[in-house]
Amino acid sequence: MLTAEGEPTMKRFIVAGLMLVATAVPAAAQGPIKIGFFAPLTGFAAADGASAKHSAEIAVEEINGAGGIKGRKIELVVYDDRHDSKEAVAVASKLIEKDQVVGVVSGSYSMPSRVTAPIFAKAGLPVTVAYAVHPDVTKAGPCVFRNGFLGQVEGAAGAESAVKLQKARRIAVLTVDNDFGRVASAAFIERAKKLGAEIHSEQVYKLGEKEFGPYLTKIKDEPIDLIYHTSYYNEGSQIARKARELGIKAALEGTEGIDSPKFLELAGPAAEGVTFTTNLNRDDPRPEVQNFLKRYQAKAGTGADMVGASAYDAVRILARGLETGGTDPKAICAALTGLKDYHGITGKITRFVKGEVTKPVQIQIVKDGKVRSFAVIDNPEVITPPVQ
Amino acid sequence: MIVQQLVNGLTVGSLYALMALGLTMVYGVLRVLHVAHAAVFTLGAYGGLWTFTLTGSFWLALLGAMAVAVAAGLAMERWVYWPLLAKPTVATLIASIGVFVGLEEVYRLVAGPEPHAFRVTLRINDVRIAGVLVTAPQVLVIAVTVALLAALWLFLTRTSLGLALRAVSQDREIAAACAMNVRRIVSLNFALGSALAGAAGMLVGVYYNSVSPTMGDVTAYKGLAIIVLGGLGSVPGTVVGALLIGILETAFIGFVEFPFPRDAWAFLAMIVVFLLRPQGLLGR
Repeated sequence: MLTAEGEPTMKRFIVAGLMLVATAVPAAAQGPIKIGFFAPLTGFAAADGASAKHSAEIAVEEINGAGGIKGRKIELVVYDDRHDSKEAVAVASKLIEKDQVVGVVSGSYSMPSRVTAPIFAKAGLPVTVAYAVHPDVTKAGPCVFRNGFLGQVEGAAGAESAVKLQKARRIAVLTVDNDFGRVASAAFIERAKKLGAEIHSEQVYKLGEKEFGPYLTKIKDEPIDLIYHTSYYNEGSQIARKARELGIKAALEGTEGIDSPKFLELAGPAAEGVTFTTNLNRDDPRPEVQNFLKRYQAKAGTGADMVGASAYDAVRILARGLETGGTDPKAICAALTGLKDYHGITGKITRFVKGEVTKPVQIQIVKDGKVRSFAVIDNPEVITPPVQ
Repeated sequence: MIVQQLVNGLTVGSLYALMALGLTMVYGVLRVLHVAHAAVFTLGAYGGLWTFTLTGSFWLALLGAMAVAVAAGLAMERWVYWPLLAKPTVATLIASIGVFVGLEEVYRLVAGPEPHAFRVTLRINDVRIAGVLVTAPQVLVIAVTVALLAALWLFLTRTSLGLALRAVSQDREIAAACAMNVRRIVSLNFALGSALAGAAGMLVGVYYNSVSPTMGDVTAYKGLAIIVLGGLGSVPGTVVGALLIGILETAFIGFVEFPFPRDAWAFLAMIVVFLLRPQGLLGR
């Protein structure tokens, strides 16, 4: 009796279980894999935020167009951090708890990346960081990977270009008063002195400064060959305009902060001849780079910049982790830690060392209103990130 | 170099003056802190840019900037300040801040969050006097400011309407008792102040080749500090205060090697004035 009654129950149980598995497995395989993404879509950095978002979307479209990750599509969950640390923290919790993403791409600046990295690290999620430069971002945990340069690398590479290639003997420095500006300028000054140049002066200005008359008037009549400025497109364009307005003939060199079509637009003719350090080479003949530049132009209506190219790479790097490691955060993390010779559009990543990359620094120049290649700095002494 | 930096300071100060005059004028007649004035300033920049894109004329654009600013200022007076006038002043202040924040969001939604270039080819040359360089954009800013301030001064001191405006500013009730149409004069006052802010917005846009939704942020609170410094409601005091702050900021950057935030000067000056001369530099 017992067995006779037990059998159908058992059978029903097994059948029901099989049905559950049968329906659950394909559903899981067909559902999209969620990747979190945040960038400053509003506020002063909005142009950079838009560029990062467009490019991340291009990467996702390409991956999905090519069949996704083992048959599953990727879904990008996009949030605006408004370049506000409180907002960024809220975004991080939403991505972890509400959206339950398997990995995160930071398309944002240092500050939001830096406050959210420890939150993601605690949740065990892998993070790829497109272009944020602060050293602490990758120190949040073993699973944070930076696609861009550290400020130290950019500053030193800027000095190589200024002193060795542009033959500057006397240099004035304008530093934006934030982590990036201070670190990059300090590295520039150290390297430039080492290479035998004289640093005429360093002036520090606050982020968001519009009026550079007082700063540039100070050095207007001094015999200076080059002005090195750490800045973003808003400040960098004002520096270039004011320098030319005052009749300053010295060369101008900036950083990736001015690598944006907005710099060309806001600086106008004063952008001509300005050089800057970055990771995107517009003249790179590789088809993946040229394809990206074309697709970006078609999607955004303006030229691509390093912020976009870096966000594209950051999405694709995380996708590579998903391909090898599946959707288990630990496995993705292991896959990225073991990543070898990855060819991104912003350069080749041999491997990540403590989350940092070693890639050549591009020096780009504005020529006839277009950004072109000026030089490549690949001196290992300069481009190796300072990680212990 | 001292004179050279003075020119830099005067240029910045001129822009502050144009921006802050409307604030002090509104305070004069209504005794409210018109924070949303900064949104009028930004609207002027967008209005100017829009007119310039359509017509290609700097002067038409300046008129366009002033026209949209006047429309916005009058709308605020009609629908925000006037209905709230009987309420405690904190109500108007809160409403004003609300309008400012709300309008910035509207600009962002309509024009996009990123800065737009405002490139005008100036047909004026740099001026060199005894080795001191006044660049073409500086000539433009100073010339337009002087012209507008002179026009305002003539209006206030040489016309009966100007006299009425000053009367209302001194005592609204007595002016009303003297059969003046206080309501119309308050509107006129808003229109004038807004026109100046619109012109300032456009000049800032051209001077820095950049128009963005948040360009009024700094001017919003710095304007308040400047009018307190000059003496609330005092037109000459505001001009003096604005130029003083412009020069102070510039001189400090020009001659001292210390990254003191430039926007703090207006507030430091305001605090000092509060302590030593609470009615402001030229206030009564």
